[in-house]
Amino acid sequence: MPTIIFSQSDQSATEIEVSEGTTLMRAAVSNGVAGIVGECGGQAMCATCHVYVDPEFSAELDEIGEDEEEMLDCTTAARTEYSRLGCQVKMSAKLARIRVSVPNEQV
Amino acid sequence: MSTSTDAPASCPFSGAAAEASSISPAKARPSSETGAEAPSADWVTIADLHDDPFPIYQKLRAQAPIHWVPAVNRYMVTSYAAAHEIEQNEADFTANERESLMKRSMGHSMLRKDNPEHQIDRDSYGKTLRPATIKNHWNEIFAANNDKYLNELQAKGPGADFVWDYAAPYTAENLRLICGFHNASQQDMQRWSQSMIDGTGNYADDPAIWAKSAESSAEVDAAIAEMLPYLAKNPDHSLLSGLASMPIPLEAIRANLKMTIGGGLNEPRDVLATTVWALLNHPDQRHAVQNDDALYSKAFEESVRWVAPIGMYPRETTRDLVLEGIALPQGARLGVVLGAANRDPQVFDDPESFNIFRPKKAHLAFGGGVHFCAGTWIARAQVAQIALPTVFRRLPNLRLDPANASVDAGWVFRGMTKMPVLWDS
Repeated sequence: MPTIIFSQSDQSATEIEVSEGTTLMRAAVSNGVAGIVGECGGQAMCATCHVYVDPEFSAELDEIGEDEEEMLDCTTAARTEYSRLGCQVKMSAKLARIRVSVPNEQV
Repeated sequence: MSTSTDAPASCPFSGAAAEASSISPAKARPSSETGAEAPSADWVTIADLHDDPFPIYQKLRAQAPIHWVPAVNRYMVTSYAAAHEIEQNEADFTANERESLMKRSMGHSMLRKDNPEHQIDRDSYGKTLRPATIKNHWNEIFAANNDKYLNELQAKGPGADFVWDYAAPYTAENLRLICGFHNASQQDMQRWSQSMIDGTGNYADDPAIWAKSAESSAEVDAAIAEMLPYLAKNPDHSLLSGLASMPIPLEAIRANLKMTIGGGLNEPRDVLATTVWALLNHPDQRHAVQNDDALYSKAFEESVRWVAPIGMYPRETTRDLVLEGIALPQGARLGVVLGAANRDPQVFDDPESFNIFRPKKAHLAFGGGVHFCAGTWIARAQVAQIALPTVFRRLPNLRLDPANASVDAGWVFRGMTKMPVLWDS
């Protein structure tokens, strides 16, 4: 099973092993990772599971969809080229040991 | 602690930068251990809840996170952690409750379905309520409606009622267009909404209330039947227009539109009035927002935390379980009391105070999980972005009428029922 590494601004990190198909948001919320809220349960509707994906994995991710695109404009922390909604990124073997940074602000 | 002041690039609802926070209330996973029996709160009355539920919630929460409340005939869940767990856990806590008054009043809408059935209905609402459509289409319409109904309030003059002479018609007219009822008036929307909501809350089984609710329901059915073929030929951005070309049963369209008429009108109306009322009662905070438009979105979020316009919604357990130490049998009827969870001192410091400068944390006013309010961004746009700044700009020295007191009331739904205001004309 692939592993996700959530890193916080205080340099602490949490490694979580999940089955393929699990989203970053679900993995974080189920394991109590601080700073990922996931209010809307994964419908790309609330913009509270914002993460910054490590650049080395950018090319491996699916393209940003229309719903995710408009919601990324509504994140509380500034959007960057590495911004994604955790609920729209599903884990797969090629994303094994993906590292994502949790923003300081989510609501 | 954040020092960022970057507003989101092009989001139409930019809020001021929030302070960093991690929301970490005690984990409240349902367990199979033996739990304690829920204490019975036989001292709680509907009349007291209606007048002011908050002292009751404080007393309940301090004693236990969940009580059996005979007057309401439900378990009332008042802690943040338990409410949050329930809304994120569809498997153990179904939205599809038995003997639902809402189903009787409005039909079986998405709000009382679980996934996967719920998602089909939810997806049928398409892009109408999403931020890009709001930005590109609805904001201009909301702004025009806001001008129109503020003009009417000003024409009526100081002493007019902020709720009934402005907030209600403004939000009703917005909702009329969002739904696509080009064959109805904002007054029809208000009548439909109130009578079907009264049906949803008709625990006393009053036949007169059922009759009015059924009458409105039939009127909505007739209006939908007329609009669907018209919108199929003349599409616009409305919900009914999207639904006109979708393979979705008419029964679902009717129920979902009725739910939307119920929830899409009173809630933004009540948030708008409650927020202005709170700001008028807190001159320092009112002064701050008037000097910084970015603070209106903070005022909005704090207002819905402080007085959640939907104060309670139902769920039902699907098995015997233990939640936060309290045993609940299968089929237990729960009231998830957002109005109480949003003032849980475990999560919010000084929770009873209205304070737009409090550290931002996730409140539960829009619900969570798959039933997260579909109208969240519509509400933020029409109230925080458009109405609030204009109200304070156009009504100099706006104030509550000292000779004619405002009234805030309700608990399942809470808002201002009377709010006479004065301004310098």
